[in-house]
Amino acid sequence: MRQSFLVVVCVAFAGNASAQADLTGVWNGTTVNGPHIKSDDPLVTNLPARDGTLLNFERDGTLIRRANPNKPIYKPEYWEKIQKLDQSENESDPSYGCMPGGVPRIGPPAQIVQTPKQLVFLYVSPPAQGWGDPYRVIPTDGRKHTPLQDLDGTWKGESIGHWEGDTLVVDTIGFNDSSWLDIGGYFHSENLHVIERLRRDGNNLIWQATVEDPDVLLKPWVMNQRVQKLNPDPLAELAESLPCVERDLSHLVTKEHH
Amino acid sequence: MKHFMSIVLCVATILYLASVPVLAHHSVQAEFDLSKPITVTGVVTKVEWINPHSYLYLDVTDGTGKVKHWSFEMAGPGALRKAGLSRADRGGLKVGDTVSVNGVLAKDGTDFALIKDVSLPDGRKFTIWSGDPSDNK
Repeated sequence: MRQSFLVVVCVAFAGNASAQADLTGVWNGTTVNGPHIKSDDPLVTNLPARDGTLLNFERDGTLIRRANPNKPIYKPEYWEKIQKLDQSENESDPSYGCMPGGVPRIGPPAQIVQTPKQLVFLYVSPPAQGWGDPYRVIPTDGRKHTPLQDLDGTWKGESIGHWEGDTLVVDTIGFNDSSWLDIGGYFHSENLHVIERLRRDGNNLIWQATVEDPDVLLKPWVMNQRVQKLNPDPLAELAESLPCVERDLSHLVTKEHH
Repeated sequence: MKHFMSIVLCVATILYLASVPVLAHHSVQAEFDLSKPITVTGVVTKVEWINPHSYLYLDVTDGTGKVKHWSFEMAGPGALRKAGLSRADRGGLKVGDTVSVNGVLAKDGTDFALIKDVSLPDGRKFTIWSGDPSDNK
């Protein structure tokens, strides 16, 4: 009797020890960005869409984005390049030209399918920044990264996941240098290294990414945390990301942009 | 127009609050003249459900019988779907229908405009965006 009891306890303990958080779900509910500007900030109170005009809606959005103090800090020799990319963003932003967002710009996934040895991340554009090919397969079977020199640089890179408690840590290397980290001319090198952390908190998916790129950044950039809400509909499906075709550039008469 | 918060703008606001510039593919100001509104009635020749903006093409006959080919930039297909505007078999835009469109002209002088709203033959009117300065005076 006592032995049986111990076996039950051991099984229960083993079960707990190997239990991982289940991130499976459609996470395309309301997106809430990190508190880079608090809602009671005078910027937010006074600026969004002054008079409710479309023009101010756009311009104020840009002002608020630019007021976000959390920016990647580049080495001084790249400051001029960043400024030029930012000023010519309509032409230079790969996302504007319908290219993929890449990691980490693509942001948190809209759906996660979790299995014991891998997770599948699905994205929808929009709201994911960038276009096309919106999926990632993240192995969690303990494998190591391919040596960087053996990887073809890609937009999504090579992602490998592991669990730290209830947090999924996704480590990605092997990028090309075609994507931006974010709007604003934030380019990166092929030595980009991205660490994403995903955690479930009730019906919230907490996503946070840290960017390391010692070739161009003075220090790692800890991006603003983003929170995705679980879609409460158990039958929810993601809509197809329709193709992106850029047709505005030829009509633009000024360099104004977001 | 006091009720400038159309459905699409609400969606846009949610996305905007998320600081994800998905509806902000380009600056409207760089491309369209908000002080030049137009109203056009024409026959739908094509609808393209593509990102980052969908397009509506109309053949518009002027007073002399001359036909002009107009194109209108709309919101992305996801935002249009949320606003209730979709394919013909779901009660939306259909090639051959005569529709009426309000918008603002492109600054480059082409027969191209940013759509504000579209009225279908069955009487339904879909507001794609609204809230330009002239509307709020």
